[in-house]
Amino acid sequence: MQVLLPGRLSGYGFTFWRRLLLSISFVLLICIPLTHRIFGITVVQGWYQSLGIGKLRIVSPLEGLQSILTTHHVHVPALIGMLIPVLVAFFLGRVFCSWVCPISFLAEGRSFFSRHPPGRKQDRIVLPRQMLWYTLIADMLFALVLGAPVFVFLSPPGLVGRELMLAILFQTLTLEGLVVVLVMALELLSRRFYCRSLCPLGALLALLGSRRRLRMVWHVDSCVACGRCDAICPLGLAPSKAEADSPYCWNCGLCSDHCPHDALRFSWRSPS
Amino acid sequence: MNRRAMLRNLALLPGAMVFYRSQHAHATVFASPLDVNRVRPPGAAAEDQFAGRCIRCGRCVESCSYRCIHLLDIRYGLHAGTPVIAVDKLPCLLCMDCVTVCPTGALTPVSQSEVRMGTAIIDHFACAAWTELALCRTCYDVCPFKGKAIVLAELKPAVVADACTGCGLCTHACPVSREQGEKAVNISPR
Repeated sequence: MQVLLPGRLSGYGFTFWRRLLLSISFVLLICIPLTHRIFGITVVQGWYQSLGIGKLRIVSPLEGLQSILTTHHVHVPALIGMLIPVLVAFFLGRVFCSWVCPISFLAEGRSFFSRHPPGRKQDRIVLPRQMLWYTLIADMLFALVLGAPVFVFLSPPGLVGRELMLAILFQTLTLEGLVVVLVMALELLSRRFYCRSLCPLGALLALLGSRRRLRMVWHVDSCVACGRCDAICPLGLAPSKAEADSPYCWNCGLCSDHCPHDALRFSWRSPS
Repeated sequence: MNRRAMLRNLALLPGAMVFYRSQHAHATVFASPLDVNRVRPPGAAAEDQFAGRCIRCGRCVESCSYRCIHLLDIRYGLHAGTPVIAVDKLPCLLCMDCVTVCPTGALTPVSQSEVRMGTAIIDHFACAAWTELALCRTCYDVCPFKGKAIVLAELKPAVVADACTGCGLCTHACPVSREQGEKAVNISPR
């Protein structure tokens, strides 16, 4: 059974709310160490690799899983902490990527200031989509062979948070912060190059979200094949060919916001 | 270059990585980064498990009130991003904030007296008290477990290894320096 969800929230498209949440998430990464330093407030600590709210620790599932698999040891608070992002991904898909991740914030900021309207023209070099899964497999193998979750040190989503914390609390930046610069430079090859092909965390979330309930559904009867959705999709998917149903879709809502014929709408698919 | 030569060179690459030694005296790609006066934070899991349990989230670094925990840089390979305390520069004051925030159990909650980051070892040939240069008892005075972990035996300090937490307050305070940045009393990691 499919429940069609409204095409706009309180009169604003999804893009508005998504950019708002991305901005809040990024500002939070600055505020957490800042309030820690100035006011000594430690109720909220960390960044999205391991966010601590009081006694609850929300743990990034990729690193948590690798830690369990390499040490054969399960720390129960970590298991509980991983449950939250896993459940979110399971039901909503990889919304973390498009609605929360600081890399998305930086990439959106870059396209915000770009002179050219977003479209397929900006996708100069596109790797095959399956590259995302190969990245995840390679990362897991690397971790298992070395016996430690090694990639997490260079993971761009975590790096943004870590560099901000180090900058605010220690007045220092580290060499690996350049990885974030590199990821932004990859945007010159195609939009969201890193997110499409090289992010193991995104790959894991996409895998978890393969059977998500929240989906972007293409209504073929309303579609006039104008191609606006295909052009705007930052992951290079073609919603007009129902590709928003694939595991790669991250429920950003851009296609829905840009469809003038209301042919793309979020819907909640409940088991019947 | 023919295919055989290229494959041979590719096979050497992992071997080269294993034996890589950077210019920094203590940075090695796979071996533990622990060394004299370089210890893991309190409540640390066994060293062979530590790199696997630690998800390099930096919560311990953030929570440390004295900013003595720092993350290892990329030269430490497998251990890059894991926390270490350089006790000669900034000793651990056993505030125990870090042990409660670790999400994966790389650091587990312990009480102050149960902490075993390492053991203090006094160099009798460098120590001012033992060489009878002065009636120095600095290490004894600053020890948070004065009389239990460090005792005065005939006015000379002696470490009781079973009770020493390895916090490094003695090392940091020791006025006698040795070569390579060491002091007359140093912490040997667990």
